Formats: sequence, structure tokens, C-alpha cells
Amino acid sequence: MNKLSAIEKIKTSSDGLRGSIAQSLKDEITGAIREDDKAVIKFHGMYEQDDRDRREERAAKKLDRLYTFMIRLRLPGGFISPEKWIAAHHIAGENSTGVIKITTRQTIQLHGLLKSRIRPTIKAFSEVHLDSIATCGDINRNVTCASHPKQSALHAEIFAYADKISTLLMPKTKAYYEIWIGDEKIADKKEEEDLLYQDRYLPRKFKIGIAIPPNNEVDVFTNDLGLIAIVEDNQLKGFNIAIGGGMSTTHGNKETYARLATVIGFVDTEEKILKTVYEVLTVQRDFGNRSDRKLARLKYTVDRMGVDNFRTELEKRIGFTLEEAKPYIFNKRADYYGWQQGENGLWYYTLYVENGRVLDDEKLAMKTALLEIAKTGKTNFLFTANQNMVISDVAESDKATIHAILEQFKLIEHTENSSAIRRNAIACVALPTCPLALAEAQRYMPLLLDKMEPLLNKHGLGNDDIVIRMTGCPNGCARPYAAEIAFVGTAPGKYNLQLGGDNQGERLNKTFKESLDETEILSELDELFTSYKNERTVGENLGDFVMRKEMV
Amino acid sequence: MLGENKFKILLDLINNATKDELIWMNGYLNGVVKNQVPAAEPVAATAAAVNKITIVYGTETGNSKRLATDFAAKAKRKSIHAKVVGMDQYRLADLAKEEYLLAVVSTHGEGEPPEAAKKFYDHIHKNGFKLEKLKYSVLALGDTSYPLFCKTGEDVDVQLNKLGGQRIAPLQKCDLEYDEDANGWFNTVLKNLTVTKEAAPAVETVAAPAPAKKTGKQTYTGTVMSHINLNDRGSGKTTWHIEIAAEGIQYQCGDSIGIVPENDSQVVTDIIAVTKADGNKSVEFKKEKVTVYELLKRKINIIHLTERLVQQYATVTGHTIPAGRADLLELLKKYPVKNVTQFEEILVGLNATSPRLYTIASSPAAHEGEVHVVVAKDVYQKNTEMHFGLCSDYLGQLKEGKKQHFFVQPNKRFRLPAENKDIIMVGPGTGIAAFRSFLAERDATGATGRNWLFFGEQHFVSDFLYQTEIQNWFETGVLTRANFAFSRDQEEKIYVQHKMLENAEELYQWLAGGGLFFVCGKKDPMSNDVEKALLTIIQQQGKKTEQEAKEYLEHLEEQGRYEKDVY
Ligand code: SRM
Ligand SMILES: Cc1cc2nc3c(=O)[nH]c(=O)nc-3n(C[C@H](O)[C@H](O)[C@H](O)COP(=O)(O)OP(=O)(O)OC[C@H]3O[C@@H](n4cnc5c(N)ncnc54)[C@H](O)[C@@H]3O)c2cc1C
Ligand SMILES: Cc1cc2nc3c(=O)[nH]c(=O)nc-3n(C[C@H](O)[C@H](O)[C@H](O)COP(=O)(O)O)c2cc1C
Ligand code: SF4
Repeated sequence: MNKLSAIEKIKTSSDGLRGSIAQSLKDEITGAIREDDKAVIKFHGMYEQDDRDRREERAAKKLDRLYTFMIRLRLPGGFISPEKWIAAHHIAGENSTGVIKITTRQTIQLHGLLKSRIRPTIKAFSEVHLDSIATCGDINRNVTCASHPKQSALHAEIFAYADKISTLLMPKTKAYYEIWIGDEKIADKKEEEDLLYQDRYLPRKFKIGIAIPPNNEVDVFTNDLGLIAIVEDNQLKGFNIAIGGGMSTTHGNKETYARLATVIGFVDTEEKILKTVYEVLTVQRDFGNRSDRKLARLKYTVDRMGVDNFRTELEKRIGFTLEEAKPYIFNKRADYYGWQQGENGLWYYTLYVENGRVLDDEKLAMKTALLEIAKTGKTNFLFTANQNMVISDVAESDKATIHAILEQFKLIEHTENSSAIRRNAIACVALPTCPLALAEAQRYMPLLLDKMEPLLNKHGLGNDDIVIRMTGCPNGCARPYAAEIAFVGTAPGKYNLQLGGDNQGERLNKTFKESLDETEILSELDELFTSYKNERTVGENLGDFVMRKEMV
Repeated sequence: MLGENKFKILLDLINNATKDELIWMNGYLNGVVKNQVPAAEPVAATAAAVNKITIVYGTETGNSKRLATDFAAKAKRKSIHAKVVGMDQYRLADLAKEEYLLAVVSTHGEGEPPEAAKKFYDHIHKNGFKLEKLKYSVLALGDTSYPLFCKTGEDVDVQLNKLGGQRIAPLQKCDLEYDEDANGWFNTVLKNLTVTKEAAPAVETVAAPAPAKKTGKQTYTGTVMSHINLNDRGSGKTTWHIEIAAEGIQYQCGDSIGIVPENDSQVVTDIIAVTKADGNKSVEFKKEKVTVYELLKRKINIIHLTERLVQQYATVTGHTIPAGRADLLELLKKYPVKNVTQFEEILVGLNATSPRLYTIASSPAAHEGEVHVVVAKDVYQKNTEMHFGLCSDYLGQLKEGKKQHFFVQPNKRFRLPAENKDIIMVGPGTGIAAFRSFLAERDATGATGRNWLFFGEQHFVSDFLYQTEIQNWFETGVLTRANFAFSRDQEEKIYVQHKMLENAEELYQWLAGGGLFFVCGKKDPMSNDVEKALLTIIQQQGKKTEQEAKEYLEHLEEQGRYEKDVY
């Protein structure tokens, strides 16, 4: 076995994810935290970042980088109550940039927290029972789940699994409460003994998603572990288990690749389902690559062991054999915009949130509007894996009230007037906060779409639900490799153009052209749309067309 | 009046005399006139040796006090009991009873008395009382780089005499290097206090002020190499880091540079406009021919004129103007001059612009051939309008590549100690200047003493002056300890003194171990609060009474281990 990566050492010597964070917070000379703590603090749901736009100017002023922290909440399935949303609204205003960022994994992030504001922020969150435990780091992340009750009468029952799994896979250490809330130090470390994560945690981040066919809006196959709900005659039979999904690649590193999860079988009963999930993690814990973090995700473990060996090892641990996978069909990957009635009779309004950024600007006072809605206390909220927001569980009798507010703040207009491609598009954060960004994404995508819309309209494709995604680097935070059209940043202003993914997320795209600038992108797309318009078969979507034409 | 020959002799004498000689002659004649028959009537001295004197001092930065206490000690050795008291503590009622009074007083601001001397100064300027018994002498501290050299001392000397006091020894003015002159003066005083009438040779007892030994001060013309606002966006402050390159510049860490600001061109043109004066006409100012424009732009102070000058303006123009300070332009608009001649008369009567001092922020070892300063934009309110300080605003507008005159202002006391000594540096705001100099020097010379810095400002994000440099010194171990106070990043205000108290135990250990304590920056309230904190620490950590703590600190001061560069 090769030597362990540096992070492994940091984890095992972190004294239950405490590291020297307490001291780091005391360092008055810098807004940053100590080197090792940067890795440890991720397990508490935070990343140290700095405003890359300001580096040069501050350096000239003999000022250090403007270090701030991004905090990511744990919200299984993206559910949040109005009280909690109101709290988040104010906490963001007081301690961060004020923008609430809905992520591609159905939770929210605040950016720009100064070191001195972390404690107040976490305290304030915990007062409304919100936490950021394990939303980052080598551990199970926020569990995603098909969020819209319209999908099934059994939505609630299925949705509950997101929470159960999240709880099941929480780390046992109390460090979070000790460091940030100021709880008493745990005298007896036995209480903290962690049979799942031990002291080394997982080799890498681990992601779990739950989908309810026929809609695959959570992109279930891009997760390390995907659960596909199997519903027969209005009963939840259980879940198909899919393993080894993951998007990230590294430019120039041939050993890295995006992979869609492989369905390895079916499991029924809750007990067996949770057991299976748990043991998939222990296999990854024990067999995952701990020396090269670029090859440490489950997808590489699965391919290294071979799917069958992996299944065998898993079955050995769970003590029963997986049943054969049940048939299922995905035929779309989209949010249900506008008002929809759930099987439960309650109403749901899906709001289009550009790149998941909730804020007030000159065009739209979305943040204020949502605060007003939350204040009515007549709704819950859900975040979708496409960075949108569902105003949920509205009783027939309250619908008018909520609708009025949506109207008043022009949110209905905003959602309805946004073009189809916009509403199906997602972009990652990238600059200025993401340290790994090679190019712009969320700040640039809207501008590029402005220029793509006329092209599509020109070819009468304006209303097609084409899945378009952009990321600032190949890490794939907006799941670009599972899109029909994707732009993956390679350098400032340059993107790889990816084509050929299908509409429902069961086929990866391929690189069509490398490092294109905007003009090149637009002319390539113009050509593509022309031929698609003229040569597509009835109902053939873009991705399938590209494959049939063997363009990639 | 004088016969032609006599007059010619006088003129020759005057024309060949230096400024100081003229001042001396002036004083001499003064004395001659005042003591009517000088040759015959010796100065008031006593047959019986004096055994009780009072020494009052008026100080801003402590020099006068230091001298006063030294003198007292010296007097004791001559078995003369000397009571030393600050002018602010002095009971003015006692003045009438005083027999032997020595006054040591400096001049500040624009020829004004130190804050602490104001009451005393104003009191003796009231008339309606006499000081028959009084025998006195004045030692004036000053600085020849200021236009009104030793003004306060002069005023005190003249006033006490007007009130009936008799001089034990003539007024002695001292430049920055005052030790020699000061001790010379005190010896004369002691001598005159102990000599008997007979022995007293008349001439030497004539009360003519003695000229000061000038401190040679090097002036330079440098080039602005770099000019940066250190505060980040969103800061409430503006603080410029200015680097000036100057051929063969010589200075030591702890020194300052003096800069004479130019006046705002707009104001100057306005003044010329309202008075219809001719900017190109040349007039004589301080024995120098300059155009009216030059005078207004570069030579004289035209804003915030002292009360004295405002009243002088009133007298010349015949207007009645309420007491208080005012800008020249304001006056000209409110109380117009009769004509250009009258305006010129007023102009030449104004004060030359005082230099502003800026503590040097660079080190000879680290930044050869350069001086760096850090200048805070001075902002003040005037009838609800925002105004900017003259010099700081002027420096803020300097452009890279521009030439700038300045002189080096030595600060003998504020010096790095032996390389192996520990130093504690408290320098919030622009007070960081001296310590950037110290740290750069100790870094460059590999000094082994430990260094502890306390810095403070309003906001961590935008106001952390020299953050990256300080971080480097910390990482490379040049800084052993560093504490920072950012007053407005949280509900309660946190300042450097709070950080000192947080680290009281350690701080006292450094002092007890022979460390030095330096403070640089704003006098009020910073340096006072820091001193209070320091006393508290000494008292608590050293298990001392309040009194003992005071003495401990005074002892440090005497040993030169507690030094201030505050303003
Ligand atoms: C916020 C978010 C994008 C968004 O606009 O919504 C995001 C943002 C970041 N991701 Fe991501 N990732 C986000 C979803 C994803 C996804 C999509 C998903 O999970 O469905 C992926 C691809 C799926 C996968 O994991 O394979 C993804 C793959 C990565 C990777 C590559 C992981 C790998 O296997 O190599 C990194 C880099 C890393 O971990 O080393 C990364 C790292 C990051 C960091 C934390 C950069 C960093 O490591 O310092 C980004 C923070 C930017 C910022 O300023 O907020 N993020 N990241 C998403 C937050 C999800 C959440 O709530 O947890
Ligand atoms: C030893 C020493 C070292 C120093 N070191 C530094 C240093 O390192 N950095 C630094 O920034 N400063 C330093 N200073 C202070 C500096 O010398 C100046 O005093 C400061 O820059 C303000 O000068 P100014 O010409 O800008 O303001 P000025 O024009 O002199 O005004 C100063 C104040 O006078 C009052 N005032 C002036 N004009 C008017 C008016 N028309 N009406 C009403 N009120 C008025 C206001 O209160 C104003 O704030 C030091 C001072 C000393 C004595
Ligand atoms: C801001 C400032 C203004 C000064 N103005 C004058 C002045 O107008 N005339 C003068 O002769 N000396 C002036 N001085 C010099 C002081 O009188 C000199 O430094 C003296 O030694 C201070 O003595 P002290 O410490 O007892 O106050 C000034 C000094 C400072 C710092
Ligand atoms: S894809 Fe790359 S650039 Fe975008 S957020 Fe993720 S890591 Fe940052």
C-alpha cells in the first residue's frame, strides 16, 4: 500500500475533528486558520476561501488576502421550515454577503463569513436547530432526494429516508458543539467512539441521492450511492441500489473520469436498506484509495475491485444477498415549475432561481419576497437539485395569499418568462469564491444564455427542454458531464464544449471541442442547432441526435 | 534721532549681525532700557545665599519636566531646596508670594504654550496685579525649524518682567539639542543666586536673552517613489504610505521628518481675487523677496490663524472682530481690507507655515537612501462641513515622481536599545510608523532581543496597516509576540490597552526582565490610556501600591526604558 496522503494523517491526529481550530480562531494576525485546520473545518461544514477578485489590489495595499468562510447547511432532501428560512435570511444579512446560495445538492450556503463571525453564525443557526455538520469533508454529504410530492403519493414515505440515512451516517464526535457552541468538553471519549468512520473517516467525500422515477432531477447516477425508489401498486417496495457515480475529472489526468452509478440490485425493508447503505460506506472506508485523493472516490474503488467483487464484499457485510434490480423508467430530469398540486392535495410553487442565488437586486426583490412568504407561516420550503426553490405544502385555502405575494414581487412573471433553456440550466459558483475555478461560471452563464436564446429561437428550438450546464473547472459541481450541452472551464474565458448526454441523465456526454472562447462556442452551437433542427427525427432530443450523428 | 555717525555704526552692526545676534542685541537693549542704569544697578541677587526656590515647568512632550527635575536635584546638592511643579498643577494664587521662581517652558502648535501651561500663561497675561517680590528666570525650549522659535518662553520672560519681576539670569532659548544651553543657564542661575552684590559683575547680570546654540538640521529634496492608500475599500479612514528617495539621506530609527505643506491653490487664487492683489508683485517677507502668490502658496499659514493674528488683522483693518481663530479668506470676505497696500501689510505680518512632523517608518539598514512615512488624512468638522488637514491632505495628493522638500527631525530619546534587549512596542494607527522602522532595522541587522508589538485600528479587514509585512516578521520570528485590537469589529470597543491588560503577566515579565516600553501615535486618548493600563499592570503583577507603581514607571522613564513619540 502506497503511503497515506497528507489529509489522512490530519484526520487521524485531529482528536475527533478538533484539530487546533480553537487556537486558529484566536490568531489575531490573520483572517485565515492554520493549515491543517483548513482540512478539519470542512467536516464542520465550512471552507476557507478568499475573494479572488480582490487579491491584487489588497496585496498592493500590503493587506493579506481577504479570507472568509463559506458555510453549508445540512438539509436532507432540501426541506426547510419557514422559521428556519427566516433565521437564515437574517443570519445571512448580519454575518455574510447576504446572498443565500441554493446548491446543486439541495441545501444552502452562505459566503463571506469573517473568522470572527463563524461562532455567532453557527450559534444562531443552532438556535433554530440548523447545523452544518458533515456537509463537507471525507464523509457522507447532504443526502439528496426527489423533492416534489407531485411525483408520488408515497413521496413522504420515501422522502423520510433522506433524513434517516443522513442521521444514520452522522459522525459521532461532539467537536462541532464543543468548538462552535461552547458545550462542555466530552470527558469520556467512549461516547464519541465512531464505529463507522473510526478516526480516519472515508478516503474521500461520499454522496447519496434518492430518486423517484420517472423524474431523475436529482441526477441519481452521479452519486456514489444512488437509491431508486421502486413503487408498485401504490406501495414502496424498496430501492434499487446504484454504486460508483461521480462527475469529477482532472484536466490532463487520464486516470480520472466521470462515471454514472451502476445498478447492482434491489433491497426491500427499511432495516435492510439502511444496513446496505451503511455497509457500502464501510467497504469504501476499507477498500478506498487513501494515498491518491484524485482516485479515492467510490467510483474508482468499484472499478478497481470490479462490480461483482464489490457486491460480494458488500453482501458478506450485510449478511444477505441483494435481489435482482427491479425495472424502472426515467423519462425526464426537470423541476415542476409554477403551481402544482401534490397527491396529498396540498399546493406547491416551484420558483426559478437563477444559479440558486437568492438576493434582492434592482430587477427582483426575491429575498424580501421569500421572507414575506415565510412570515405568513403558511408554507414550507424545499430546494431542488437544480438550485431552485419550491414553496411547499400550501393549503388550498392559503394558496391565494401566497399567490398574491408572488405576484406582488413579480416572482410569477420571473418564473414564467424565463426561457426553457434557462430553467433547465445550472452553473456552479466558481469565481470569485471558489479557489479551484479556472473560469467563470455562475457570473457568466446568464450572459452566455442571453446570446444562445436568439440562436435557439432562430431555429425554433426556444421551447425545448435542453439540459445545459456550466462549471468553472472539471470538478463538475453542476454535474456537467451528465448534461446535453455542457461548458467546462479550462482557463479564463475558455471552455470545453461537451455534447451527447441524454435528457434524463443516464448517459454521459463527451468532449466535442476543447477550450473554446465565446465566439467559437456560439458558432459551433449555431451549426449544431441548424443540423439538429433540419435532421432530427420526431421527438429526438439533442443528446440522442448528437450520438446518432456520431458527432462525439 | 541718532547722530549720523552713531546711526551708521548701528546700521553696520545690524547689517553684519546674524538673526540670533540681532535677537540678542534686541534683548540686551531691552534689558538696558528696563534696568535704566544697567552698569550701576546689578540684578536682584541676594547677599545671603538663597535656600528655597520654585521650579515650574510647562511641557507637552516631557523635556521641560525632565530638565526641571534634573535642576532640582542639582540644586539640592548645592543645599538649595527646590520645589518642582507643573504649570498645570501650580496654584496661581501662590505666584504673588513667590520669591525665587524658575520657569522651564516649551513652545508648541504655532508658537503657542503647551496645553499644560495654558492656565499659567493666560494668568500672567492678565494685568491688574504686581509681583514685587519675584525674582525669576526663564528657560525656553523650542525648535528653530518652527517660525516662532521659543515664543512662549519669550512671552513668559517679558510678562513676568512687566509684572515687576526681576531677572536672576537672562532668558535662555534652546533648540532641540538643549542640554548644553540648559545646563549653562542653570549654572548661571545658581551662581547669581549665591553671589554677593559686590562680587556680581554688572555686565553678566544684564538681563539680555542668550542666543540658542542652533541644532544643525539637514534638509533634503527627495523624489516620491511610491504613494499608496493602505486602507481597503469600505474603510472610514485614509492612510498613505509614502516612500521618498533622497540622495545620501541620514537618519536613525525613531526620528521624524518635517514637511512644510503648500496651501491649496484654489484658496490662494480666491484670496488674490477678493483683494484684487497682484500675484506677481514681489514683497519682502522675513528679509526675503517673494511674489505675493509664492508667499500665499508656499510661505505663510493662511488657515486657522491664531487669535493673536486675527486681532492683529482687526487692528490693521480697523474692524472689530470677535476673539477666536479664523481662516484668512474668511476674514477677507467678512472684514474687507481697505486696499492692496493694507492687504500686503497684513500678509507680511502673518506666520510662516509651520512644518508638520511625520515619524519615519523606514530603517536605514533596510531601506538605504529612502525615508518612508505613514500619513493619516486628518479630517475635521467646521460648521457642519468636512475639512481636511492642510499637510496630510497635501501629502495625500502627492504624485509619484514629484519632488518634495523635507528635513530630518532627530528624536534622541526614542531609540532602539542594545541589539539584545527586549522591546515592547505599542503603536496603533499611524503609531505603527516608528515600529515598522524598529522591526525593519532589527530584522536587517539580526538583532537578538525579543520584539512584542501591539497594534490597533478600527477594522481588521480594511485598516490593518502593513498587515503582510507584520505577518512576515511574525513568521520569521522577528516578532516574538503580536497582539491586535480592532475597535469596531464587535459590540464592545477593544483597544491596545485592553490587549495589554489581557497579557499583563507576560508583559510585566518582559519589563521586569529589563525590557523597554515604547509608545507611538496619538497622544489623546491613546497614550494616556496606555499609560494607565501600564500602571495597572505594574501594580497588579508587581504587587505594588499605586504610589509604588508610579515610582516604578518614573524609574523606567529615568532609565530611558519608557519612551513616547506621541502627538
Ligand atoms: C455549491 C456547489 C456548486 C453549486 O453551485 O451548487 C459546489 C461548490 C464547490 N465544490 Fe462541488 N459543489 C457542489 C456540488 C458538487 C457536485 C454535484 C453533486 O454533488 O451533485 C459535484 C460532482 C459530483 C461528484 O462529487 O462527483 C461536485 C464535485 C466537487 C469536487 C470534485 C470531487 C472529486 O471527486 O474530485 C470538488 C473538489 C474536491 O472535492 O477536491 C468540489 C469542491 C467544491 C468547492 C467546495 C471548492 C473547494 O473544494 O474549495 C466549491 C465551493 C464553491 C463556493 O464558493 O461555494 N466539488 N460538487 C455544490 C454544493 C453541493 C452541496 O450542497 O453539497
Ligand atoms: C513628533 C510627531 C510625529 C508625528 N508623526 C505622525 C505620523 O507618523 N503620521 C501622521 O499621520 N501624523 C503624524 N503627526 C501629526 C502630523 O504632524 C500632523 O499634525 C497631522 O498630519 C495633521 O496636520 P495637518 O496639516 O494635516 O492638519 P492641520 O491643518 O494642521 O489641522 C490639524 C487640526 O487643526 C484643526 N484645524 C486646522 N485648520 C482648521 C480650521 N481652518 N478651522 C478649524 N480647525 C482647524 C483641526 O482640528 C485639525 O484636525 C506627528 C506629529 C508629531 C508632533
Ligand atoms: C507639533 C509641535 C509644534 C511645535 N511648535 C514649536 C514652535 O512653534 N516653536 C518652537 O520654538 N518650538 C516648537 N516645537 C518644538 C518643541 O518646543 C520642542 O520639541 C521642545 O523640546 C518640547 O519640549 P517639551 O517636551 O517640554 O514640550 C514644536 C514641537 C511640536 C511637536
Ligand atoms: S466546478 Fe470547479 S469551479 Fe465550479 S464550484 Fe466546483 S470546484 Fe469550483
